[in-house]
Amino acid sequence: MVRAPMPIQSGTVSFARFRSEPAGARPDAKRWLLRGLRKKAFEPLEARKPDDDRAAGFVELEDHDATGFEAGLFQGEHALFAWRIDQLKVPAKALKAEVDRWAAAFAAGQGRPPTRREKAARKEEVRQLLRQKAEPSSKVLDVSWNLDTGEVAIWATSRKVVDEIAATMEEVFTVSLHPVSVGATAARSKLAEAALGPTPALVGLGQEVSHDAA
Amino acid sequence: MTRRNEAREEAAFLRGEVGVDGAATEADQRDAAEVERDKAREELLRGRTWLGRELLTWLLWRSESGDPLVEVEGSGLVVLFTGRITLRGLAGEVTELTARGAEAPYAAEVRRALDAGLLVHQARLRFTQGEGDTEKVYEATIDAEHLDIRAAKLPELAAEEEDDRVLERLFLAGQLSRFVDALVAAFLEERAGRGWAKRTVPALKRWMQAPGGAEGRRA
Repeated sequence: MVRAPMPIQSGTVSFARFRSEPAGARPDAKRWLLRGLRKKAFEPLEARKPDDDRAAGFVELEDHDATGFEAGLFQGEHALFAWRIDQLKVPAKALKAEVDRWAAAFAAGQGRPPTRREKAARKEEVRQLLRQKAEPSSKVLDVSWNLDTGEVAIWATSRKVVDEIAATMEEVFTVSLHPVSVGATAARSKLAEAALGPTPALVGLGQEVSHDAA
Repeated sequence: MTRRNEAREEAAFLRGEVGVDGAATEADQRDAAEVERDKAREELLRGRTWLGRELLTWLLWRSESGDPLVEVEGSGLVVLFTGRITLRGLAGEVTELTARGAEAPYAAEVRRALDAGLLVHQARLRFTQGEGDTEKVYEATIDAEHLDIRAAKLPELAAEEEDDRVLERLFLAGQLSRFVDALVAAFLEERAGRGWAKRTVPALKRWMQAPGGAEGRRA
């Protein structure tokens, strides 16, 4: 059972910010959210194909093993849920040690070192064996979504994970998540392109670069 | 061939490191300084990061007076840079510079580096809203590229019930976002106006070139 700390409730406050469009609460918000969350609900690794080393999907905020989303989905105007990532990693050091041991025994028995193909085949066998013994590591990242204002906060610091969650949300909820960087805000404000190139006196760029960038 | 090896070879091909025959393409002939400059340039142009850096640099200058910079929900917002500040740029031999210390962001050394073409890329900011009993203080580290909120400190929670505390925390995190958005709006208004090139940039450069530390300039 996964019971990681929930940043929305306590601890360090770090989050990436987006604005969802269309914004504004929907009359069928609960049904729409449930449908989206269940489309990409978390499925544990053991229930998936044996070749998969990674599983990711939505779970309830307060119970990271639950994917029903019937309780605790709303707090005021916020929808609260989480994204769970389980990853199986075969320790490279153990894999190498095991293959090296086998290669030494092979060379002693056969009077020649294993070919590259034989070594690769053995390595894959060992990897599968070690994989069965490995425990998946689990990470859970909270998501808060103010359905009235469209403000989305993904409580994670890794940009790769933030982008993964944002892309999944766009897909399952059929919304657009816009970043709130200065560049993106300027673009949304429809400010004149010509006025938004780098300021040469500040950036230390030549004029030719500002033309490239604008 | 395992899937992993196939994927690795495909990635190398997509990166242009090997050709269709699997042989290495021409080696990168650039020297380390050139590679670093190209990387710094790519970082600056990605997602118009220069605008985020210009925002934080403008904010450093504007915040030095200690006056409220914008109004958020009818109340003035004072911003103060505190602790660590990271500068990045393309010009000269230095592409990144980090300064630490409670008053480091306003130090003459930082201003000189800004004058040399570096800009603020990441900084720790203290936001103060309201006065007296209604004063609330927040802190957060902000980066120029995404304007993500990192390692923020929120004002002490007043609510006691668990559900109310979650709501209050979400509200305060939302307030922090609104502060940043209000500063971005104020910056973009000035940045897109005619006064940016004529008045703001020359004033910023004069501030960067002024002698002495923050105390000396305030006196």
